[in-house]
Amino acid sequence: MKKELVKLIDLSRCTACRGCQVACKQWNELPAKRTRNLGSYQNPPDLQWNTWTLIRFQEHEKKDGKVNWLFRKDGCMHCTDAACIKVCPTGALYHTEFGSVSMHADKCIGCKACITACPFSVPKYDPETNKIAKCDLCYTRLQVNQPPACVLSCPTGALQIGAKDAMIKKAYARAAELGGDANVYGDKFVNGTHVVYVLPERADVYDHLPVDPKVPLEMIIWKDVLKPAALLTAGAVVAGCFLHYITHGPKTPDDETTCEGGNKS
Amino acid sequence: MKKGMIKATGPFERVVHWCVALSCLLLCLTGMGMMFHSLNGIGTMVGGMANLKTIHNFGGIFFAISLVFTIGMWWKEAGLFSFPEDWQWIMAGGGYLWHVENMPEVGKYNPGQKMFFLAVALFGAVMVVSGLIIWFPFSFAVSLVRMMYVLHALGFVIIFAFFFIHLYLVTVGAPGSAPAMFTGWVTKAWVKKQHPKWLKEMEEDGTLVVYGEEKCSKKGRC
Repeated sequence: MKKELVKLIDLSRCTACRGCQVACKQWNELPAKRTRNLGSYQNPPDLQWNTWTLIRFQEHEKKDGKVNWLFRKDGCMHCTDAACIKVCPTGALYHTEFGSVSMHADKCIGCKACITACPFSVPKYDPETNKIAKCDLCYTRLQVNQPPACVLSCPTGALQIGAKDAMIKKAYARAAELGGDANVYGDKFVNGTHVVYVLPERADVYDHLPVDPKVPLEMIIWKDVLKPAALLTAGAVVAGCFLHYITHGPKTPDDETTCEGGNKS
Repeated sequence: MKKGMIKATGPFERVVHWCVALSCLLLCLTGMGMMFHSLNGIGTMVGGMANLKTIHNFGGIFFAISLVFTIGMWWKEAGLFSFPEDWQWIMAGGGYLWHVENMPEVGKYNPGQKMFFLAVALFGAVMVVSGLIIWFPFSFAVSLVRMMYVLHALGFVIIFAFFFIHLYLVTVGAPGSAPAMFTGWVTKAWVKKQHPKWLKEMEEDGTLVVYGEEKCSKKGRC
């Protein structure tokens, strides 16, 4: 196994040039779709099956009345405890040797369970292919020791990739350097994500960023409780039936009926 | 058909029973193919997991329609308990688990059968509703869809367990029962053993149909 990688997104260095968004489309050959201007630089408005990473633009008023323009590169967080992998019925979604979450598109049956399960609302459905699509951290590039397309394109150093421990260390150092509300996001939940943010503001300030993301309880009950329970109960019932047969015995009619016999009694 | 056999079910009843039973079985198999990675091979047998999902979804629609007929047909007879004799039966474990003197006489359906019917009716409906929501998740709130996965799995636990009890009783557990759902004719000895009160009711009402003597028993003058 190769060592786990982490993509570090230092939002304090992001200028929202959207080079990563374009590089992602180019490398993964994702078409652009016509969108409407909604009065924001944020385009398209959300992640799509053909947009695996997106710079979110957000105006945030600070306590002193100053308005901050916040940028956040959104996309798959590549969880260690990945809800999407947990619920995928076909094994289409899987962990790579780098710890990232990749996908065998040919195995996807478009059941959309991952869309329901993901705490970050990342997987998106393409009705034309009846499959979901999302960032795979440029798995084919990682395999040949190349950085993901987004990281390669980033002109400010907001995006970096490297060994997990080193990146997390770097993230904490950078957050300490920034001071104030700056914090590290990603290493403390779902057993650690393989995308880690340095957020200049508190996590709850950012749109569409869950403060405490986790594998939904419903998915845990479904997969870790009820799934084994189905087998256990059925097994217990079968064993019980067998025991009943050999100890108590079947409930058999007293005699065979014929027209001349039982009927006339 | 041997003379003296007693008519237990009509053809419509049997057709509805097998519609709901076979579609339920199909849904269990196809569903398990998706629930357990180790059973993905069931998908391979039908040409891939995508086909398995399609069969499961449309099989569900067939099941839903069959379930409507099942409930409409049986809820009066099998959906309502009659106290106190049903309670007595339940407390005695139906006489199946230990020796019981003076079991209350069972009518057309014993409380065990009623419980099975209610489980299928209730959890069958739960499966249909939760299944439809899982099928079209974008039309509903995510929190609701997540709960539906729990209900769908819970329904499977219940129905799958009941299925094996049903299978045991109609095969070796209570011999003579299965013909009720194949030919529709059962032996009088079986009715006497399993549903004595029903036999008496039919004799009193003149609704007892005996093979070879239909006419006289219909008039209730035998």
